[in-house]
Amino acid sequence: MTATAALAHTERTEAALRASEERYRLLVEGIEDHAIFMLDPNGLVASWNAGARRIKGYAASEIIGRHFSCFFPSAERGRGRPDEILRLTAATGRHEEDGMRVRRDGSQFLSHLTFTAMRDPNGVLVGFSELSHDLTESERSAARYRGLLEAAPDAMVVVDAAGKIVLLNLQAEHQFGYSRDELLGQRITNIIPEGFAERILSDGTRTAAEALAQHIGTGIELSAQRKDETRFPIEIMLSPLLGADGILITAAIRDISVRKAAEAHLEQMREWYRALIETAPDPMVVAKGGEIILVNRQTEVVFGYPRAELVGQSVEMLVPERLRTGDILARLGDIAPGQPLGGLEITGCRKDGTEFQYECSLSPMESPEGTLVTAVIRDLTLRKKAEAHLLAEAQLTRKMEELARSNEELGQFAYVASHDLQEPLRMVASYTQLLAKRYKGKLDADADEFIGFAVDGANRMQRLIQDLLAYSRVGTTREELRNVSAEDALLQALANLQGAIEDAHVEVTHDAMPMVFADPSQLVQLFQNLISNGIKYQASETPRVHVSAAKDTEGRWLFSVEDNGLGIDAQYFERIFGMFQRLHKREEFAGTGIGLAICKKIVEGHGGRISVESEPGRGSTFRFSLGKEGV
Amino acid sequence: MSDALQVLLVEDSPGDVRLTREAFREANDRIALHVACDGIEAMAFLRRQGRHEHAPRPDLILLDLNLPKMDGREVLANIKADDDLRLIPVVILTTSESEADIVHSYQLQANCYLTKPVQLDAFENLVKSINDFWLTKAKLPVRRSS
Repeated sequence: MTATAALAHTERTEAALRASEERYRLLVEGIEDHAIFMLDPNGLVASWNAGARRIKGYAASEIIGRHFSCFFPSAERGRGRPDEILRLTAATGRHEEDGMRVRRDGSQFLSHLTFTAMRDPNGVLVGFSELSHDLTESERSAARYRGLLEAAPDAMVVVDAAGKIVLLNLQAEHQFGYSRDELLGQRITNIIPEGFAERILSDGTRTAAEALAQHIGTGIELSAQRKDETRFPIEIMLSPLLGADGILITAAIRDISVRKAAEAHLEQMREWYRALIETAPDPMVVAKGGEIILVNRQTEVVFGYPRAELVGQSVEMLVPERLRTGDILARLGDIAPGQPLGGLEITGCRKDGTEFQYECSLSPMESPEGTLVTAVIRDLTLRKKAEAHLLAEAQLTRKMEELARSNEELGQFAYVASHDLQEPLRMVASYTQLLAKRYKGKLDADADEFIGFAVDGANRMQRLIQDLLAYSRVGTTREELRNVSAEDALLQALANLQGAIEDAHVEVTHDAMPMVFADPSQLVQLFQNLISNGIKYQASETPRVHVSAAKDTEGRWLFSVEDNGLGIDAQYFERIFGMFQRLHKREEFAGTGIGLAICKKIVEGHGGRISVESEPGRGSTFRFSLGKEGV
Repeated sequence: MSDALQVLLVEDSPGDVRLTREAFREANDRIALHVACDGIEAMAFLRRQGRHEHAPRPDLILLDLNLPKMDGREVLANIKADDDLRLIPVVILTTSESEADIVHSYQLQANCYLTKPVQLDAFENLVKSINDFWLTKAKLPVRRSS
């Protein structure tokens, strides 16, 4: 390289350097929010930028060449603070402090200052730079931001990368129930126990920044814990804040308990409405534009379709095919919201094709999806049937009551009548007998015969009345049913019949008898009448009557009185239990034919049944049960 | 007649009165049967009032329960409450078979309770029994002269 060329190179380099320096100078001079200026090694101001002019109030021409101690309050100046700072800076290379400074107009302000010692490549001190800014200004600005933060409607919490709370607002204090001092420095997991840290902290697969990035701006629902350990639901919005110490995370936390409660309430209401419709006793169908969109359980039951076969189909499927003419759809379309239509009688059709009449009420309602029509369907066949049933039941009850009353009256009548009939009859009987006794053979043959008929008639009538009286007593004078020994009743009956048994030479045997629930005196009469019949209608050389008891298939005691007597033809089985029914001539067997009627009345009065099984010539077996069991 | 047995029958039914009279006639011809057809008359007879001024004191009273004006229960109570009359045996002779009537009568110190049988021969036998027992075998208090 020639000297000329070298010179030219140097010149170019210097020119480039100058240009670069000029750019820096302009850059520095243009900065307005920081005062940046140079001092020579003695502390005289060597350069001045726009920020310095603005903050300190001096123009460059006024201050360049003056000692920088003029920026200090007089007290500081007096004790040599300016030179001390220069010495410190020269010694350490850099000095930083907050201190009061004085503007040109004499006013003071708090400033943050950074001094840097400038040395040439040989280490010779060539001067100092001072960079400072008005802390009052930044305080004001910070206060504005703080005001914004405090006024935020949500709790705001700033967390550092380690999960420690570094900043929070008033809402955060309120929401979490802590004072600010208690929260600062606490781990975020103390107030948001689950979910938060996991979302924003790094793990094996991602960095904190990546983790955070996934959640920036999205509302996350978590639950938070107050100082008193109660929990509440929150929605949290995260945003990153790049600070001097790395990424800080700003979390906006909203207490959503009210919203949650409202949602729960809404859900509850929705559930109630659903249940209301679902459990309604009548079918309910909701349709939109003629298409079924909702049905309840009763609809499935009444129409016989499962829900899945109804939803999505036309409402016409609920009527018989011949009625699917579009009329119904047209009528549905005509219904105006807010004008319900009731009492429509429609023929319905079940899945199996059977038809029924129903009454339909339509309630249209406006919804975001269009007009929905709710149809409430009432099966009229059921109602009509139920009404008819109720009516029939009421009539039956009335009839039963009438019948019971009439039976009662009849019983009373029979008792009173037969009792009062006895008196005059006793006279008739006694005097015809007296007549017969005194005048038999003293008048003529006709008179004897007439008197004989009169005596016989009176006697028969007396027996009839006595039996009638006995029969009606079964209904009018029953004792309370109780547990009694059928054995005792049978033995009593046998004792009452002892004479007749001996006279007829009948062998009466019996098995062990159970306890039963009965009227004891009626039970005696029942055994007595049946055994008496067995004794009376005998033809056998060795007449026998056997009484036994066994449980039937339903576990009830079934009593049998069996004889080897005349027997009864099957055609008379029913008749013999009727009143005054006789199968034999009076001359053959005495009696009015009331005995078995009384037996039947006693048995049925106990809720049991009586029947006979017999074959003429081989004997009869009378069987009876009593309604309730003894223990 | 002085040694005749005096019997007062208190009975409203003429048919029963006659039957009883006939039955006693057959049983014992020494009996003087007097009849009162209601309770009032029975008491008048026993207290010798009105037309019964000269009535004899009966040795036995046969008393029906169901009577007009004053019924047999009241007559019985009056007799047993009267120091003079209470010694006379009273036999209840009625159609009532009611347990309540039987108990009540004995509570009122009736001496015997009998029901009228329906059959004539049974009735005659009953009257005979009354005669045999009360008027023949039983020792009765001696009648004071009036």
